[in-house]
Amino acid sequence: MAKEEQKIVKQLGESRVVVADSAAAMDESNRNDIFVDGSHCGINVGEMALHSGVRGMIGNDAGLGKNEAGVAGLKLLEKHGIPAAAVSCMSAKIGSGMSTYEQGVISVANEVAKKLGVKVGMSAKEAADKMLESLLPKTK
Amino acid sequence: MVKEVHKVVRQSGERRIVIANSATSLDESNRNDIVVDGSHCGENVAGYVLKSGARGMIGNDAGIGLEDAGIASLKILEEHGIPAAAVAAMSAEIGVGQSTYEEGVISVANKVAEKLGVKVGMSAKEAANKMFEGLERQTEA
Repeated sequence: MAKEEQKIVKQLGESRVVVADSAAAMDESNRNDIFVDGSHCGINVGEMALHSGVRGMIGNDAGLGKNEAGVAGLKLLEKHGIPAAAVSCMSAKIGSGMSTYEQGVISVANEVAKKLGVKVGMSAKEAADKMLESLLPKTK
Repeated sequence: MVKEVHKVVRQSGERRIVIANSATSLDESNRNDIVVDGSHCGENVAGYVLKSGARGMIGNDAGIGLEDAGIASLKILEEHGIPAAAVAAMSAEIGVGQSTYEEGVISVANKVAEKLGVKVGMSAKEAANKMFEGLERQTEA
């Protein structure tokens, strides 16, 4: 499979917000990134995120669906201390990372993301910023 | 990324029905396959299917969503003569190919799939078999 294009939409030091259509595009080069994608947030996507070592993830809730499988990856990431959230499938086009980032409205967030200030109803862009800011060294 | 291992659930000669969790795992080894996967059927998924040369696809409708994005690939595949259908997000767990295959109920099918007998309300398993048998008939003809 050809490597999918990733777009850096924000960078602060070594930390970045990166956008891609598919979660399958995540790899080790995303180890310092908040990854915003057009994929559902199912269990296999949670595994992809863990494997790559991303520091945060925002995807599509895929209508939640049976057994809330569309957001099953969020709980998995929560267990690993990784902030993750999903946008409503009615707010953004699934399969399009840029739509998630530009149009997405958060419908579900895991506990780690909530602690960083991510809230249901927030734009994906704002949620990504909250996750990114948490990666910056604390100045007191 | 670790390569996903596909499960073959039906085979006759070179024609197979294959199950995958993610459509991103499709490659040229799927050239003669009907692929049943756990992915949404968004626009980008059509790219993976076309690139692999798969002969049919069944995925998840992902709640259909904004501008019907969850099933956008069905139309694109239709234009390429490839039968494709989606199961309702409430019938099967997205991300799990085996759930699509075992539990999925078709919510949308493209015209090529309909011509092979795939109907809304049909099980994904039956729909995959219709595609499989339809292609066998084409090969014989």
